[in-house]
Amino acid sequence: MTERNDDLAAQSGAYALNALSPEEREAFEKHLTASAETRTETTELSDTAVALGMAVDPVTPPPALKANLMAMIAQTPQLPREVEVVDDAAKVVQPAATPAEKKAQGRWFTRPATALAAVAAAVALIVAGGVVADSIGRTSLQETSFAAQQADQLAAINGASDSQRLVSTVTGGATATFVWSVELASSAVIVDGLEPLPDNQVYELWYIDSAGARPAGLMDASTDGTTWRVLDGKMAAGDVVGVTIEPKGGSDAPTTAPIVVFESA
Amino acid sequence: MLVVMSREADVSAFPEEPGAPVASPQDLLERVATGDQAAFSALYDQLAPRVFGLVKRLLRDHSQSEEVTQEIFLEIWQTATRFDANKGAAVSWILTMAHRRTVDRVRSSQSSRDRDVRIGIRDHNPDYDHVSETIEVRLEHERVEKAMSRLTELQRQAVSLAYYGGYSHSEVATMLSVPVGTVKTRLRDGMIRLRDELGVAS
Repeated sequence: MTERNDDLAAQSGAYALNALSPEEREAFEKHLTASAETRTETTELSDTAVALGMAVDPVTPPPALKANLMAMIAQTPQLPREVEVVDDAAKVVQPAATPAEKKAQGRWFTRPATALAAVAAAVALIVAGGVVADSIGRTSLQETSFAAQQADQLAAINGASDSQRLVSTVTGGATATFVWSVELASSAVIVDGLEPLPDNQVYELWYIDSAGARPAGLMDASTDGTTWRVLDGKMAAGDVVGVTIEPKGGSDAPTTAPIVVFESA
Repeated sequence: MLVVMSREADVSAFPEEPGAPVASPQDLLERVATGDQAAFSALYDQLAPRVFGLVKRLLRDHSQSEEVTQEIFLEIWQTATRFDANKGAAVSWILTMAHRRTVDRVRSSQSSRDRDVRIGIRDHNPDYDHVSETIEVRLEHERVEKAMSRLTELQRQAVSLAYYGGYSHSEVATMLSVPVGTVKTRLRDGMIRLRDELGVAS
């Protein structure tokens, strides 16, 4: 099998350049766990490939891309941390490893999680219908910055230390989530599968307290997937939030019964 | 496209401006691993132009490049918990992931792409829509170009086609009319030479 291993070791350059087929890549990674020498070399060649990447002219992506991402991460869980048992074992076996070897071991023994692409795709689908995704690259600057602002606010609410959420069912069957932070005095409504309205109608959000209902913004149902909006105005603890269907342009006070109501505690 | 390059794109130089300390990608990535969305936002600002520039270099198509860049950053968010500074620099981790994901996309959309073989070889010409050339980028560019000039013609073409073109070693073999085994060897020899010229060895 030495011959085969030599052949594998010779693929370090192709591996670092991502020029191997998926099967070859897998075989090579298996070989990496067995050969400290190849590991060190591969780490160095991968860093060399990074230098090639650093020589490419940077291009600033459209602002909506960031807005979309901020909305996505607010709803995307992170992988749990790995317990690096393998690393310790490797150190015991090869106590005299050079710093480079240690660096290489660390890098190659902990494999990146697979199937992430699928998760990413799924999340992309979930968010794709939202106000932000629709705006990627093809909206006016004004819409883009509104979307970016909304996304940043949603991220802030989700990230707040006192962030809370409630899930409820909308009249008609869609699932709505209400997320809020009293600290930030801000909240958002996220609806999965909200039904599109005729052109002359719009969804309106309301903050409701003992003094009555205050308009808190309008939203249109996204064509597929998720519709969401950060509410305008300040939220106070105990505020009730409702969504109604109003004539195009919105109303100053609700004119129909709410399709969903949330009571923040 | 007249866009002023923001200092966020400057990934390895962190100018100390009064009142505006810039966190390193390393620090930011470690904070992202704790679920810090503000750190993610700052990390994005610093590295998105790098990632998008690289992705666009390989894919060329603007909207596909946006999609892939988005996927890459989402993956950064999800897997930041697996990043360990002992294993290498944050920028390396991110650019390595970016290149791999982009190549995955190149391969999966290959049939629909009009791939001019020579594009890969002429790859040192800058994109027309590049944002700007900071001194730092130009220096890196020159450094890599100089190192590349030390390779043999075949090594240089093979490395360029693989890295900047996203071609597999068998595709590179076809384009350069040499056996696959020869390409593998040239890629390795070429990368080792580049490593030594660039002083990457750890």
